[in-house]
Amino acid sequence: MSNRPTEDALLPQAAMPANSTVKMPVGVPGYTLHEETRQAPASEPPVWPINKDLQYVGHSAHRYDGPDKASGRARYTSDVQLPGMLYAKFVNAALPHAKVISVDTSAAEKYPGVRGVYVVEHVLGPAELRNPALDRGRYPVVRFAGQPIAAIAATTPAAAQEAATLVRIQYEKLPFVVDLDKARESNAPPVFPGPADEEGSAGGGGGPSDVHQTGNVHGPSVHRVRDTEQGFKEADVIVEGHYITQVQTHSALETHGVVADWKPGMLTVWASTQGTASVREELAGYFDLPMSQVRVITEFMGGGFGAKFGAGNPGVVAAALSKKTGAPVRLMLDRQEEHLSVGNRPSSDQTLRIGAKKDGTLTAIHLVSYGTAGCGTGAGCAGPATNLYQYASLHTEENDVFINAGPASAMRAPGHPQGAFALEQTIDDLAVKLNVEPIDLRDKIDNHPVRRVERQIVRESALWKSRSPVPGADQGPVKRGVGLAQSVWYRFVRTNCAAEVRVHRDGSLEVLSAVQDIGSGIKTVLAQILAEQFGVPPSQIAVKVGDTNYPVGPDSGGSVTTLSLTPAVRDAAWQAAQKFLADIAPALGVSPSDLVLVDGEVRSGSGKFQPISFRRAAAKMTASQITAQARRVPDYDPSKYLTYGGVDVAEVEVDTELGRVHVRRVLSVHDCGRPMNPEQTISQINGGIIQGISFTLFEDRLLDPKYGLMVNPDLDLYKIAGAREIPQIDVRLVEAYIGQSSTDASGIGEAAGVVSIGAAIGNAVYNATGVRVRRTPMTPAVVLAALRQGGTQA
Amino acid sequence: MPGSAFPPPSPDSPPETPRSGITRRGFLKGAGITAASTALLEGVQTLRADAESEATPGVTEFGPGADSVRLHVNGAEHVLDIEPRTTLADALRLHLGLTGSKIVCDRGVCSGCTVWLDKIPVNSCMTLAIDAIGHHITTIEGLSSESEPHPVQAAFVRHDAMQCGYCTPGMVMSCAALLERNPHPTEHDIRHAVSGNLCRCGTYPKVFAATLDAAGSRRA
Amino acid sequence: MNRFALADCTTIDAALSQLKDGAVVKAGGVDLLDRMKDGIEEPQRLVNIRNVAELRGIRETLQGLTVGPLTTLAEISEHPGIRAHYQILSDACGHAATPHIRNMATVGGNLLQRVQCWYYRSANFQCLRKGKDFCFAFEGLNQYHAIMEYTGCPSVAPSSAAVALLGLGASVELTSAKRGKRTVGIRELYVVPDANPTKFTVIEPDELLTAIVIPRPAPGTRSAYQKYGEKESFDWAIADAGVVLEMDGPICRRAVITMGAASPVVRRSPQAEAALAGKPVTEETARAAGRVSVEGAQPLSMNAYKLDLFPVAVYRTVLLAAGLRGRDPSAAG
Repeated sequence: MSNRPTEDALLPQAAMPANSTVKMPVGVPGYTLHEETRQAPASEPPVWPINKDLQYVGHSAHRYDGPDKASGRARYTSDVQLPGMLYAKFVNAALPHAKVISVDTSAAEKYPGVRGVYVVEHVLGPAELRNPALDRGRYPVVRFAGQPIAAIAATTPAAAQEAATLVRIQYEKLPFVVDLDKARESNAPPVFPGPADEEGSAGGGGGPSDVHQTGNVHGPSVHRVRDTEQGFKEADVIVEGHYITQVQTHSALETHGVVADWKPGMLTVWASTQGTASVREELAGYFDLPMSQVRVITEFMGGGFGAKFGAGNPGVVAAALSKKTGAPVRLMLDRQEEHLSVGNRPSSDQTLRIGAKKDGTLTAIHLVSYGTAGCGTGAGCAGPATNLYQYASLHTEENDVFINAGPASAMRAPGHPQGAFALEQTIDDLAVKLNVEPIDLRDKIDNHPVRRVERQIVRESALWKSRSPVPGADQGPVKRGVGLAQSVWYRFVRTNCAAEVRVHRDGSLEVLSAVQDIGSGIKTVLAQILAEQFGVPPSQIAVKVGDTNYPVGPDSGGSVTTLSLTPAVRDAAWQAAQKFLADIAPALGVSPSDLVLVDGEVRSGSGKFQPISFRRAAAKMTASQITAQARRVPDYDPSKYLTYGGVDVAEVEVDTELGRVHVRRVLSVHDCGRPMNPEQTISQINGGIIQGISFTLFEDRLLDPKYGLMVNPDLDLYKIAGAREIPQIDVRLVEAYIGQSSTDASGIGEAAGVVSIGAAIGNAVYNATGVRVRRTPMTPAVVLAALRQGGTQA
Repeated sequence: MPGSAFPPPSPDSPPETPRSGITRRGFLKGAGITAASTALLEGVQTLRADAESEATPGVTEFGPGADSVRLHVNGAEHVLDIEPRTTLADALRLHLGLTGSKIVCDRGVCSGCTVWLDKIPVNSCMTLAIDAIGHHITTIEGLSSESEPHPVQAAFVRHDAMQCGYCTPGMVMSCAALLERNPHPTEHDIRHAVSGNLCRCGTYPKVFAATLDAAGSRRA
Repeated sequence: MNRFALADCTTIDAALSQLKDGAVVKAGGVDLLDRMKDGIEEPQRLVNIRNVAELRGIRETLQGLTVGPLTTLAEISEHPGIRAHYQILSDACGHAATPHIRNMATVGGNLLQRVQCWYYRSANFQCLRKGKDFCFAFEGLNQYHAIMEYTGCPSVAPSSAAVALLGLGASVELTSAKRGKRTVGIRELYVVPDANPTKFTVIEPDELLTAIVIPRPAPGTRSAYQKYGEKESFDWAIADAGVVLEMDGPICRRAVITMGAASPVVRRSPQAEAALAGKPVTEETARAAGRVSVEGAQPLSMNAYKLDLFPVAVYRTVLLAAGLRGRDPSAAG
């Protein structure tokens, strides 16, 4: 399967304890709920019922760190100030492709306030040559404008910035290419002198390393299921489309950056990261330090969306400068650097053909895609075509095309918004050709049990019922349309994560994990799990996360955090509760099995004593602290429920005179296993929808073709949806139990609308105008051109 | 005048015209010295301590090096040494450690750095710190106390109007400023009021809901 | 941002006395700080006029309005008298930039802001308007650039206030310590970027913009401004229109139609004005005016779509001014 984040399947798995047979709720309450049998390790806690029968989990608890965030007290990496701290600034390449002949830092070193200068030895991020010997030279070859070359640490940000302008770099210019079509030409300037590959991060992205490379074309990576030639022969109808999507940058509000404090025996790093573990591993590896001497702290972080894994260039350089100067060093990228150098969503140029029988059965799907991940790889986008529908045959060819631009990195559902934009509009084209309703066609070709329920919810919605079956039916220049599209994402389980739960004799409870809260609200969910297990409100739980001093957490990429970590937390909480009850039972004169924890009290099941408060019961502990640690056990039945997703419906108004598309309403029906905190889950889905609208209508990384420089590296002409672009979003969260773990949670970050909303908008625009817009962003220029072309065709 | 953003200071601005605020250099040198506002403002006439530099009537020279200036932040006086080029955002974040306001775009288009000058929301990244002399500066830290959050802050928590939280201080300051001048906004009013506030996690729907709710709770 | 000295002035005379040796005037500072942060301008000395009280405020006179250049965009847009009688100006100032920028930015600064061309705004491109001899936009990315009346530099007029003030027939008062005052029309304030592309306005280094004078509209005047972007939340105009109609019952006695994002300097469209003069304002006449508003346009490689947008901006704003149509929900700002 393409674009799947690397599994940790290669890690040695813990020995599986003896299994026991359990019955678990599976399916969607009100639709398909039933019981299934699973083999679960005997050490697992009792099976939880569905949410309505739980007290805290599955209900909306206020965000754990909400008051800190709303008050400005939350301290992000960019806010960390340490005594004697220096401020670092990168010196970046101003050319898109060049050999660096010399780097003269002497003037910068003498500048007042400068304490240290570092020349970058190896650039992290771009694809690496299979044969590194091809890149001989003292300095890394510049492959994109904005590539870091050196860095300055000084006593003030201004001094660092001024000194940075004094670094003299001598280049030998190399021919460059920044246009995907030009880069594919046989005489295009090569971005790399030989085959090169980019590995994925913990968040996915990256491309295959087992493919050919011809010139700048890295691929194709071919995937075949049976014979598409035969499939098209058997087809009654064939639909085809050519779709183009642009490069999008993550544009997290907090830029990449760290504060590094290198002291003898301990390197402490505050990092704006999605993976404290990934930062520690990269720093320990790069500087050859034992893991025990690297500590990474991420209490708050201002958004990542897939781009923030590992130490990266800022982490390595800040640590090196801290080591060199003996002082803590803060290195936060500026907005321009954030656009240029730390990742993006690759573009796509897709030609998709689908063959079907008259009854809708898909006989063949054939996709050829090109896309650019800059000087990286990861532009594959065949995931939706491969994994959303039933088909008789499939042929996909994914090609990465190198250009002289910053390397891509994983971005929220890598490859999937692009792939779904083409696939889901082509499926709608098929429905038109077959003269069936698009929702009925999907019932025919999509056998995912939960999406079937989701389509049912859509079918019954007022929004879907308001859809005109006739495209372009509205009179007047402003036309309304409704369209739907589906999303798919995968259940990736990280068993390499753990948590510790502590019960203190004063009755306080805490949970510890190195996991970072990237805004999804995992802190709140951990508090809810302890609350459920101990029968006390979540507000009484202390959550300690974002510090590698705690048990290892999952890196937050690919929607793995909640589904991977929460079972470990529940297991630890359950074990701690069992230990706690065993410890206090003698003092209460009962056996542990007679004790229950509920409503803030410890009660005797047999009524042997009057209920006492949890705090009073804790005072009877024989030790000051009871702890339990648990690691994630593998899914109970890894052969089942490998994907999940949702159905999104968009209502648009197309001002056909201005070419403006305004999204008025969105109905977003999604599943994520057991929703742990519906309010926070809805927040993430809102976010996926809005990021997807922004991608579909506005955002575009623009590179000047003649000079290879980005002309809009800001938040002004790089246009991101704002308050007035936001539709009324109606999220229907579908509880979909799958019987896989002690919490039965799944993820939501990737599937949350961002995959499907672009195609839903495209289908709605078609419904409004009768014209298909096959290119993003759908700006007035693009929409007017499509309308004009559509008009002449009609 | 409605919407007056900068001088003349509004009636509840610190006394003295038009912009008091400089201390004698060396008398109170260094950043972060605070004192009760009224005591220090009295009798301070000029922008700078070395007033003899006012060779031309009506002209006060600053810089290019650091000068000692006094800013009135969250109800307290702060004396800090800053260059003319120091933005208010940097003065607050780096000199005073008030890191609630965030620098995101650094060009006045995302409003993550929103603070109030005399209750008018402005972008502190595009305001020179010396232009804030003589004005009441309110940052997210000064909007409320921990024990009693501002109604907008409480509503943001109730409605989960935040994800990563990086835009949240700016959003809160914009929404709270809206309620100062329009206690009963519609959702349309709120959308316009935060149309310059960028949120990348896509939390807008709950920002609207929270602000409507805060307005309601203020009514009650 | 480079290090600089700053002369904080409290009177016009004090400020005029400081206009020498390359000193740069700073009012609200929004556009100036933007350029300085981008490293395209490095003044050694700023003359801060932000605290010159005489330069602030709105005075209604028998002849019309006198607006102090330090009056903020928010103050203008919310002024009841301007809302009532100069709707076009209220619209233009109320839809510029973001709400917080409108609280900081002055109308004088809005008029004098530099072009927004991304080549001009990047320190990486040494272009015509920075004193070099090459424009990057003609062969580069020009989707937001001019479709008409460009010669050397096709970057569009960035000031929405100028579109409104041109429509109202306003002029600015320029004051020099040596030469006293002179009055210049809005159109004449700007230098067409051909002979001397580094000069953006006719203001001399020793001059200060000291007032904006707006004549009282003739009885029966109705006006409006609308700006269209790719987004509705803060965005630059890809098309815009200012409309001033002198109505005589249902008949339009005289029309002034102005445009900003079409050309390097704000322009009136005589063709569109002629299409309305002496006629009743209807959807038909409004559309006719819109159609001819782009007569003579020669789009660049990427901006032909603007030929579709301006006619729509003009006709919808004519109807808005005439009270025949509401404010366009698609309009930005």
